[in-house]
Amino acid sequence: MTEEKILLDHGSGGKASHSMFSDMILPLFENFELSKQDDGATLDVEGTTLAFSTDSYVVDPIFFPGGNIGDLAVNGTINDISMCGATPKYISVGLIIEEGLPIKDFKLILETMATAAKKAGVKIVTGDTKVVPKGKADKIFINTSGIGVISPNVNVSGSNAKPGDKIIVSGTIADHGITILSSREGLKFDSDIKTDSAPLNKMVQSIIQSNCDIHVLRDPTRGGLGTTLNEIASQSNVGIKIDEQSLPIRGPVQGICELLGFDPLYVANEGKLIAFVPQKDAQKTLEIIQRDEFGKDAVIIGEVTSEDSGKVFLKTTIGGLRIIDMLTGEQFPRIC
Amino acid sequence: MALKYIEEYRDGVLARGLVKKIHSVSKKDLRLMEVCGTHTTAIFRHGIRSVLPQGITLLSGPGCPVCVTAQKDIDAFVEFARVKNVIVTTFGDLIKVPGSSSTLGKEKASGADVRIVYSVFDAINIARENKDKEVVFCGVGFETTIPTIAAGILMGIEGKVDNFSVYSANKLTPPALAALMETDGVEIDGFILPGHVSVITGTDAYRDTFEKYDIPSVISGFEPIDILQAILLLIQQNEAEKPALENAYPRAVSDAGNGKAKQIMNQVFEVCNASWRGIGEIPLSGMELKKEYQKFDAAIRFGMDMPDVPEPKGCACGEILMGLKSPYKCPLYKKKCTPMNPVGPCMVSSEGSCAAFYRYS
Repeated sequence: MTEEKILLDHGSGGKASHSMFSDMILPLFENFELSKQDDGATLDVEGTTLAFSTDSYVVDPIFFPGGNIGDLAVNGTINDISMCGATPKYISVGLIIEEGLPIKDFKLILETMATAAKKAGVKIVTGDTKVVPKGKADKIFINTSGIGVISPNVNVSGSNAKPGDKIIVSGTIADHGITILSSREGLKFDSDIKTDSAPLNKMVQSIIQSNCDIHVLRDPTRGGLGTTLNEIASQSNVGIKIDEQSLPIRGPVQGICELLGFDPLYVANEGKLIAFVPQKDAQKTLEIIQRDEFGKDAVIIGEVTSEDSGKVFLKTTIGGLRIIDMLTGEQFPRIC
Repeated sequence: MALKYIEEYRDGVLARGLVKKIHSVSKKDLRLMEVCGTHTTAIFRHGIRSVLPQGITLLSGPGCPVCVTAQKDIDAFVEFARVKNVIVTTFGDLIKVPGSSSTLGKEKASGADVRIVYSVFDAINIARENKDKEVVFCGVGFETTIPTIAAGILMGIEGKVDNFSVYSANKLTPPALAALMETDGVEIDGFILPGHVSVITGTDAYRDTFEKYDIPSVISGFEPIDILQAILLLIQQNEAEKPALENAYPRAVSDAGNGKAKQIMNQVFEVCNASWRGIGEIPLSGMELKKEYQKFDAAIRFGMDMPDVPEPKGCACGEILMGLKSPYKCPLYKKKCTPMNPVGPCMVSSEGSCAAFYRYS
C-alpha cells in the first residue's frame, strides 16, 4: 500500500479541502474564531471589531489576460476581508521567488500590486522576501494577509442566511478559471476572455452604508459558485434554490466550459461576490451593486428555503430540478 | 470564439413542449439506455429525469471510456508511472481511478512524472521537449478518440518522435451493444445512441445490431432538447411497436460518418478482442496497433503485461454498466465508495454513472 499523501485534490477548494480543514487543521488549532469558517476571522480587539485574513497565490501561469499573480494576490485578500463586512486597511505581502525569475517580470508584478492597492485604497505596510533555488518553487508564490475594520452593528457571516433571503451574484461567473485554463500551454483559444480579478471593497462599503440588512457576503473563488453556496447552506442550516436561467455566464466562457466538460458552477471567480439579503432589501441591494464599476451584470439568482437544509438545488432551463453538490475532485489545478 | 447551438437547444419553451408531448404519448413502462457517459451527465445536469413520466426509466450504459477500462489496464498505467525516465500522459479522468495498489494521482504525489493532457498531440509535444525521456500515452477512448490517437502516431512518425508510445485500451461501441443484448437479464426497450461516436461511425455502424435485435435506437445530441427529442422518438417507436434506427442528431451525424477519420483509424489500428471492466471479454470490441506500427505500442516497448486481477469485492460497476443495477443498489455506493475515495471507476470519471448519481441526486 502506498503511504497516504497530500494530493492536488486537497487544494481544489472542494470536498477534499474541506475535509483536510475539518479533520487535520481545525482539531489542532480549535478556537471560536477559526471554527466560524468565514473568509476571514472576526476579532474583538479592545472595543474595535477587526477582520483578519490571509491567502497564498500560486497561479500558473503568473501572467494571464486581464492581470497577473500580483493584483490577484492583493485583490484576493481585499475581497476576503470585505466579505467579513469590513473595510480593508492594511496588507502584508510575502514573496517566495524562484531563482532565475526575470527582474523585469518581478518588477511588473510589484508595480501591478502597488496599483491594485492604490486603486482599492489599502496600504501594503509590511512584508518579506525569500529566494529559493531553481526548481524549489515555480517562478513566484505570493502570500498576502490583511486587516480591516468592521463598523458597529455590521454582522455578516456565512452562518446568517435565513429562509426567504434573496441571493444576488454581482456578475458573470467562471471568467477567472476559464481565463487561466485557456492561457495554459497547449490550450490556446482565440477569445477575448479575461480574468474578473477586481477589488470589491467599494461595492461592499456601498452595500453596508445603504443600511440594507445584509446577512451573508462571500466571494465564490476556488470551487466556484456551487461550492460556496453549499458552504453557506451548511453553515446556516438552510436550503438554497437557484435558477439556471438567471445565471450570468459570458458566451465564450460557456463555450469553453462545454468544450472541455467543465461545469461553470464549479469554476473559480476572483472579482465576484454573492450577497444574501432579505426580500425587502433585495432590489435596493441589487441596484447598489449594479451601480458599482464591477457589478454591472449583477442579478438575483435564487433564494433561501427552510426545507432541504444543507442542500443546494438548481432549477434547470428545461424546468427540471437537480442537486448542486460541493466540488469533488480537481477541475484544474493552480488557478489562484 | 463563438460556439453556437447551445442556447437554442436549451430553450425552456421548446423543452416544455417536448415534455408535454412525451407525457401525452407515453403509456408503457419503458427502460431506455443512454449508452454514452456524456449523455448520463447531461441527463443529470439538465434534470431530465425529473420531467419524465414515472414509467420511463433511464439506464446508464457502458459508454464512459474510463469506466469500462479493465483493472489490468489501470494497473499497467500505474506501472508505467513507476518506470524510471517515463512521463505518463493521460486524460484527467484517469488520475484517480484505483488500480490494484495505487492510482496515477498517488504515483504523481510520490514523485512520478504524470501529466494531464487534453489530446494525444500534447503528449507528442511533451515527447519532443523531453528527448531523454520516454513518453507513454494512456489510450482510453472510443471511436471519437481513436482516430486522433492514430493521427498522433502518424504525426510522431513524420516528426521522427521516437520516444513516444501508446498503451491502447481503446474500445468500439457497436460490439458492446450487441454484447449487452446477448446478456441474460438485460432488459432494454431502446438505445439513446452516442452523438460524438456517431459523428465518426455514422448511422450505418449500428445497422447490423439494430437489424439483429430489432431494438428501437435513436442517435442523439447532448443538449436537453436533443435528448428529450430522442426520448420522445424512442417512446413513439415503442408505443407503435415499430422499432427503427433513427438519427435525431443530423446536424452532426451522417449515414456514412467521417470517412477520413475512419481511414486514419483503420490505417494504424486493427480490431482485436478486448476486456471490459465488469463485463469481461467482448470479441472484436477493441483496437490494437497494426504490426507495422507496433514500435509505438507501449505494451510491447516496455514488455508490459499485467495479470488479470479480480475487481474489488462488492463493486457493482459491471452490473451498473449493463443496466442490471442502479448505483443505489450497489452495497458500496455512498458508503465505502465516494468520489473522494472511489472503489470503482464509475465513481471516478466525470462521466461515470455512480459519480453522476452522487453529484446530482
